Amino acid sequence: MLERRRWLFAVAALTPTLAIFAWVRLYPIIETLRLSLFKWDLISKKQPFIGFANFSQLAGDQRFQQALLNTTVIAFGVLIITVPLGMAIAGLIHYRMGSRLASIFETTTFIPYVVSLVPAAMAWKWIFDARLGPLNAFLGLFGISPLPWLFDPMLSVVCVIVLCSWQALGYAVLIYIVGFRNLPVSLFEAARLDGASGLQAFWHVAIPLLKPITLYVSVVTLVSGFNVYAQAYVLASDSQGAPGRQVRVLVMDILDNAFRNYKVGYAASEAVVMLAIVLLLTLVQFSLLRERGAK
Amino acid sequence: MMETDQNFRLSSTARRLGQAGLTVAALLLGTAAVRAEQITVWSGYPEMAPFYQHVADGLKAQYPDLTVSVQAIQLRDHEKRVALGLSSNSAADVLELEIGTATRYMQNDLLAHAPADVVSFVQDPKNFNKFFGDAGTMNGTVYGVPLFRGQSALYYNTDMFKAAGIAAPPKTMDDFTTDAAKLAQRDASGNLKTSGWSLRLSGGGQGIAEKFWINMFQYGGNVAVEQPNGKWKMTLDTPEGIKTLSQYLQVVWGDKADSVEFPADSDAFERGQTAMFIRESWVIGDIAQKAPNLHYATSTLPMGSIVSPVDLFVTGQGKKADEAWAFAKAAASPENQLWMLDHVGWLPNRAGLDYSALLAKTPQLAAFVQLPADYKFFSLPNIAPEDEFMTGIADRLTNAFADSSLQGHPDKIENVLKQTSDAAADVLKQNDLLDE
Amino acid sequence: MTLSISKAAAVGTEARAAPRRRTLNIAIDAFLLLFCVLMILPLLFLVANAFKTPQEILAWPPTIIPQHPTLNNFFAVIGSTPLLRWIGNSIAFACLSSLCIVATSSIAGYILAKFKFRSLHIVFLIVLATAIVPFEVYMIPLYFQAQKLGLLNSTWGLLLGYLVMSFGIFLIRQNVVHAIPDELLEAARIDGAGEFWIFLRIVLPLLRGALAALAVLAFFQAWTAFAWPLTVATTQDSYTVEVGLALFQTGYTVDLGRLSAASALVLVPSVTLFVFMRRHFVQGISNSGLKE
Repeated sequence: MLERRRWLFAVAALTPTLAIFAWVRLYPIIETLRLSLFKWDLISKKQPFIGFANFSQLAGDQRFQQALLNTTVIAFGVLIITVPLGMAIAGLIHYRMGSRLASIFETTTFIPYVVSLVPAAMAWKWIFDARLGPLNAFLGLFGISPLPWLFDPMLSVVCVIVLCSWQALGYAVLIYIVGFRNLPVSLFEAARLDGASGLQAFWHVAIPLLKPITLYVSVVTLVSGFNVYAQAYVLASDSQGAPGRQVRVLVMDILDNAFRNYKVGYAASEAVVMLAIVLLLTLVQFSLLRERGAK
Repeated sequence: MMETDQNFRLSSTARRLGQAGLTVAALLLGTAAVRAEQITVWSGYPEMAPFYQHVADGLKAQYPDLTVSVQAIQLRDHEKRVALGLSSNSAADVLELEIGTATRYMQNDLLAHAPADVVSFVQDPKNFNKFFGDAGTMNGTVYGVPLFRGQSALYYNTDMFKAAGIAAPPKTMDDFTTDAAKLAQRDASGNLKTSGWSLRLSGGGQGIAEKFWINMFQYGGNVAVEQPNGKWKMTLDTPEGIKTLSQYLQVVWGDKADSVEFPADSDAFERGQTAMFIRESWVIGDIAQKAPNLHYATSTLPMGSIVSPVDLFVTGQGKKADEAWAFAKAAASPENQLWMLDHVGWLPNRAGLDYSALLAKTPQLAAFVQLPADYKFFSLPNIAPEDEFMTGIADRLTNAFADSSLQGHPDKIENVLKQTSDAAADVLKQNDLLDE
Repeated sequence: MTLSISKAAAVGTEARAAPRRRTLNIAIDAFLLLFCVLMILPLLFLVANAFKTPQEILAWPPTIIPQHPTLNNFFAVIGSTPLLRWIGNSIAFACLSSLCIVATSSIAGYILAKFKFRSLHIVFLIVLATAIVPFEVYMIPLYFQAQKLGLLNSTWGLLLGYLVMSFGIFLIRQNVVHAIPDELLEAARIDGAGEFWIFLRIVLPLLRGALAALAVLAFFQAWTAFAWPLTVATTQDSYTVEVGLALFQTGYTVDLGRLSAASALVLVPSVTLFVFMRRHFVQGISNSGLKE
């Protein structure tokens, strides 16, 4: 039957990819998560089974809770900034696609994504500087007194969000531009004939049609947000100015526990919790942005 | 239309595949070439790379066909690769490790035992002070050859001291507080322009706890003390601890001679934004490079200093190991040790060195190598959960430093210290290291 | 037929709206230009740092335009590090990874999007789940695998972590859903086309834009990778660029001048490659004429 032939094709075509996948992704991840039920210090040969002891210790771990809170705030902060802004900027760039400037816009938006983090972050450390940074100078124009961006427990989280969004925006714009290009032109023609303005066409035609793309950008941005690490680390470094407040994030906690505290099993249990939470959030996003069948 | 697109796309793909194939071939051919006798050295301090090269060059006479590959990367990642390498038997031949990090590996016997000639070399009191010789020893087995250490002293800006009318660097901790208040300068609107004493008030890792301990040591106290039975007792919540934290709060909130968001550390000192601060010897080289016109001097601390020994360890057996041990011994030769101090700035652990030539060139080294006879030393605990222990304390201290309500309230200060001490004791307890 | 009539009508309205359209275009350009300048500002800073002496880098507030510009940092970087070799390593690694990822993601994404079998839903969920766990976390078992296979210190060991991209599969799946109607595939099947032919001749061309984007993203994911290359490649010559740049962070300080110079130098091939890749594929798309 046609159905069977399709099934055979699906299996045959997927197998090589899935095989590699199982080897380099599934196996290491399952290994790591399995370790959450054990106690291992990375160098000894024995790994005693301890059941859920890691998890119960995690429940009372204040540092873990702090890291979880910070990371969640950062992830959602980056999401709220990146998705709408990415879509808007991509829409504008797509609108100007014919002109020579479009490629410049696309490139400059993407550059923060590929530049090395440490030297770029030095610029941000200066921008956020409490006494001499241009941000406080700019806010001063509106009568706002200088804020300790890098040191206040809450404002330092904002700094991380800004740095992450700055990098993530190029990625979102790139994906959205592809999405815009694949939109059927005829629908816009029809909308224009119906008297819709450009903005209305954008809101009522483009955005709903872009749902699959928005779902992608949303999921990827949220996951990347939960995986934040280097940005928090670098803003707390002591180069230039004073070392900023260390914003504890999940991945930092996991790696510290694994490589510096030598509690690999404990670190793995943190990874399991993170996986569960983010998977749940991903499924929520899928149901919110569910695609409407065939066009 | 479709046809040309198809061809266009296929040919571009084919082109990319071809390019990729050629590059892979080139890379594989390239990496196959190197086959000579080679030992690898892993270091956590990129600035040490030239030193290791220098040591390797010195070995050329004795081992003509030996090449030494030095791979230095920043500390955090170095520790990670050592952890992975040692647990999978794929670490480099020579490992440079801080004793704190190496403790765990020594305890698990993952490092090579030193051969007889190296053992006598390390244990000879003419070569190394007993403290350093023993640092790389565990359960009677010698694993490491002493290399360098981190040690702190006071750096102070002589121009600022003169301007403030202070004749000599602070000699007691009370002097530190009063001097800091005198040295702090403010601008027209009352904001801090120059801090009187740059304290470590924020930042990641365990640095804050380490610097706090250094200050506490000057009051005669310690964060924790090792007991004869090998376990540890917390001594943070003590009069010395209270005095230390009170001093921090006095400087920051009482006299406002420093603040959390004010530039700090070596960068601030080199810019002339702070009058004094306590740090290790590498700052001397940093100042020479970035602020050569700065007028500064160094002085010893009131009671003594922290000492963080770094040793060279070897992995494996056989001919490579022999060459690795030769390398480690050569790195500890008097000539190389002085070269290291001169060109890199870390303090040699070798005893009996003649520092006169270097002191003539850089008198500020005196506070590091010419020490009073009764100068005391302490090291961070050589325990497996050292990092977790210190980082936990650092986290809580960060919050304490930023809390202005604590200043002038000894009872609140004691409360904070008690909570910090209890949390740290928990870490010790989990690792069966708490003395009950 | 209806298409051409509506097109003519549209052109007519366009002609009337031309001056207004031009103003709108200029306004949008101005806005985007401002936005781009803001995005780039931190990087101008980076480039400025590359030309400063160590003394001047120390200055706080930092100067935007170096007062005593010097090329020493660049000379030091090029002279004392194998920067070009690193760039070569990175390009080779990124190209191979990109190819692998595009190949695996395109077929997997297509199947997971259009073949509605129950078990494939679970496969997709697993693929997504693996994307959530950060690489640095499951690096340990992967490292031991690489070590057992003797792949350390080689390009293959490097590639081991970058053969597939869960988010790549997800991206293609979403684009297939977004851009390829079921009717098109059904029509081809009714005409008697084989599954593989459908994939090659119908699906892939329509996915051109997405594949191009994926190629770019996979390329730069490998380009900026740090944790895995650091662990696997331990001889200085075999470093990728990102790992090489980390050498400028010494024990307690960052050699900001040299690091900025090196980063600035690396930006040149980065941006060039990006523009090249985008233009390469954009031309392909605009050649294909109207959609539908």
